[in-house]
Amino acid sequence: MVHVEIKAEELFAIGPLIVTNSMVGALLASIILLLAARWFTRRSGIVPSRGQSIIELPIEFLAGVVRGTGGKRWRQFAPLILAIFLYVLVANWLSLLPGVGTIGLAENIDRTHVVIVPFVRAAAADLNFTLGLALISFVSFIAFGLRANGWRGYLKELLIAEPPYMTPLLTPIHLISELSRVISLSMRLFGNVFAGEVLLATMLSLTTATVFILPLAFVIPGVFIGLELLFGLVQALVFALLSMTYITLAIAEHRQHGSEEHPSGESPEQATAPAHGAA
Amino acid sequence: MGPDQGDDKGAPPPNWGVAFDLGLRLGISVILGVGGGLLLDSWLHTSPIFTLVGMVLGIGAAMYTIWDVAKESMRR
Repeated sequence: MVHVEIKAEELFAIGPLIVTNSMVGALLASIILLLAARWFTRRSGIVPSRGQSIIELPIEFLAGVVRGTGGKRWRQFAPLILAIFLYVLVANWLSLLPGVGTIGLAENIDRTHVVIVPFVRAAAADLNFTLGLALISFVSFIAFGLRANGWRGYLKELLIAEPPYMTPLLTPIHLISELSRVISLSMRLFGNVFAGEVLLATMLSLTTATVFILPLAFVIPGVFIGLELLFGLVQALVFALLSMTYITLAIAEHRQHGSEEHPSGESPEQATAPAHGAA
Repeated sequence: MGPDQGDDKGAPPPNWGVAFDLGLRLGISVILGVGGGLLLDSWLHTSPIFTLVGMVLGIGAAMYTIWDVAKESMRR
């Protein structure tokens, strides 16, 4: 019986490190991306071939989005956004390959039920993976905020409200709002991918019995796998775009801050010019 | 990636990522506030004071999130 546990299942342990099937999925996605990067950087040319153009198409698209909405500093964080997008996309699509989530060790949970513990499972169906990615995104936008604002400016913006007598009320509100970003990013990706895994497992279980009567066992899971391809792409795009929005916001807050105080000695027109240019 | 030849080449998409984010963050803000309040109450034995304070702060954080997103949209 194919089943989906809410937590990733342990495969083996290396000392204190427990290796789960979701970790194997994440590792495979990393290896695929590294090998693809190596292969394409060796074979790519200035005049792209047809294959290179097809591969570059989604990267060009996302780079265009980052360039269009990321303001003048888009080059600084475009590689991070593209890496997050490609990593989540490959990890999501990897889980749709035959054998992933279905081939594994048979385990008796009691005397009557045997379940399969798959060797590889969708990486994003484990909250640890999505929370890790969300924390990378969180640290990145704090780092960009610090870089743009400086320690003093960033902490002032985070902890001191405007007007200052509202600080005891507004600071906790601001902190809760900031923290909600990490949880929102991680829970959305985890929820969607885990729900997809459960849906596919349910559809397979429901239709397997009809395999000798009707072709339903092939058609119905096929439809849902097609939908999962789309959802995997959308979720990767949403995660990457939201990370970009947060970074852009962290930098934009600096621009507004800078336009009021002009710490670099620029005129108000010069100081506000990038903010208009980013729109 | 090509050179930065102006922002009009890569047309910004409708900001639907923010729409995906907003709804979830509203709920999470309230849950964080109430959860934090419940934890403090169980730790300090002051129920229900911090739960109520946390709820108010959580709802406030949800409203702040809406305001923050709206402010950013107007800035663009």
